[in-house]
This record gives sequence, structure tokens and C-alpha cells, in this order.
Amino acid sequence: MALFGSSEKKPEVKTEFMFDTDSTINQSTLAKDIKINGSLESTDYIDFSGHLTGTLKSSTINLKPSSYVKGTITADTITVEGEVDGDIQAKDIYIKSTAKIKGNIRYQNIDIQNGSIINADLFYSS
Amino acid sequence: MDENSTEMDENNSELASDESQSTPIDNDAKAVNIGSGVRVDGRIEGAETSDISGTLTGTLKSSNININSKGAFSGDMSGQEITISGSVDGEINSDDYLIVNNSANIKGIIEYASLQVSYGARIQGTLRHRGSVQSYTPVSNDEVKEDEINENQEGDQ
Repeated sequence: MALFGSSEKKPEVKTEFMFDTDSTINQSTLAKDIKINGSLESTDYIDFSGHLTGTLKSSTINLKPSSYVKGTITADTITVEGEVDGDIQAKDIYIKSTAKIKGNIRYQNIDIQNGSIINADLFYSS
Repeated sequence: MDENSTEMDENNSELASDESQSTPIDNDAKAVNIGSGVRVDGRIEGAETSDISGTLTGTLKSSNININSKGAFSGDMSGQEITISGSVDGEINSDDYLIVNNSANIKGIIEYASLQVSYGARIQGTLRHRGSVQSYTPVSNDEVKEDEINENQEGDQ
């Protein structure tokens, strides 16, 4: 019976957070009520849901479904779920079904989901 | 030997149903198949299915178009369901859906209703969404009926 004594203890539950607060990644989240006129720059990760007129620059940019950007976006990796009117430049671009893009797209790798509305000039560069 | 073998084939055609190669069947499927290494210049219209593994230069109008990974097309193509795995230089008009696989290499103008591009595909040129662009509608008489159906969907925009 002593053998099973330990099984009465409840296993330790680890809570998983949406993002690791201890990690070295600087993640910025901008909510959808945020409106920016000008430029937004980061070296790591931006989760953007708001409105921006101007330039957006980061390593990884996630444009959420409610986002709207008019201007220039530069990043290594961009995921577009919202609306963009302007220039996008990235190594990897993922365009999701909710995306609406107008302008120019400069890319190395592109992935487009059906449902997205794109009226743009595409420029491939190796 | 050849004569004998063809006679044999004719006699055995009912039995040897597996060897469909020896009994040519009428192509009523409106299917076009350009094999790898085959070069075609010209205009293809009224096709139901077009499978291009060779090289086609000219105009292609077909409901279903497949440009396979070895296939190369240059010119204007229009259809409902188009899948590109090879290379295309020119104009693509898709009424329904356009699938661009990762091996694809496209240069030119793409007009689409629904577009899916796999990571790794190369596209150089202009993308136009059907619902968004009213001014640009190169419609031939054959395709008017399908376009009317599409216009209902465009109304949602």
C-alpha cells in the first residue's frame, strides 16, 4: 500500500501562458483602439491590432484582423490578417484569408491563403 | 510482327481491358494533354480540362487548367479552376480559384477570384482581385454566363 501512497498526491499543474514572460523576446502588443500617426519601430515582435498611418518596422510583425496600416511595413516575417494600403517588404510574408492588401509587396517567400483580397504588385527577390 | 501484334490486340481487346493503351478511345472529355517535352504554339479553346506538362505558347481557354511542374506556358490563359506548378509568363485569368504551388514561377498579370499560394512559389507581377476591380474585365462571349454567377458573389463586396 505504501507503494501507492504517493499516487494520492495531485500532480503539479503547470500553467502555460500565452507568451513566456521570462524569454528574451520583446513582444509588443498594440490593441485595436490604438491609433498611430508616424512610425513604430521594434527589434523583435509586434502584435498589431490598431490603426497606423506611417511606417512600421520590426523583426516579426503580426497584423491582426482588425488592423489597418497605411504606409510602409518592413520586417523579416510578416503575417497579415488585416488591411494594408501601401508597401510591404519582408523575407517571409504570410497572407491570411481575412487580409486585404493594396500596394506593393516585396518578398522572398510568400504564402497566400484563399479568401484574401490582394490588389498589388509583387516583386520577388532572392 | 507489328501487324500480328495489332491484330492480337484487337482480338484480345475485350479480355485485356487493362491495356487501354492499345485501344484508342475517342476523347469526348474535351481534355487537352500536352506531355512533357512536347512543344505547342497556338490557341486552345473550348477545353474542359487542360494538363500541360510540356511547353505551350499562345492562348489557352479551358475550364480546368493544370500547369504541371515540368510545364511551361507563355501567353494568355483563362479558366475557372487553375492550378500552377510550373512556369507561366503572361496573363492568368481565373474565374473561380487559382492555386499556385511552391514549385511555380509566375511572371505577369494575375486576375483571380480566390487565390492560394504555397510558401516557396515565385510570383513577379501584378495581382488583381476580381471583386475589387470593376474597370478591368476582359470577358469573352463564352464566359459571360460564368461571370454572371461571379457577379452575384462580387455583390457581397
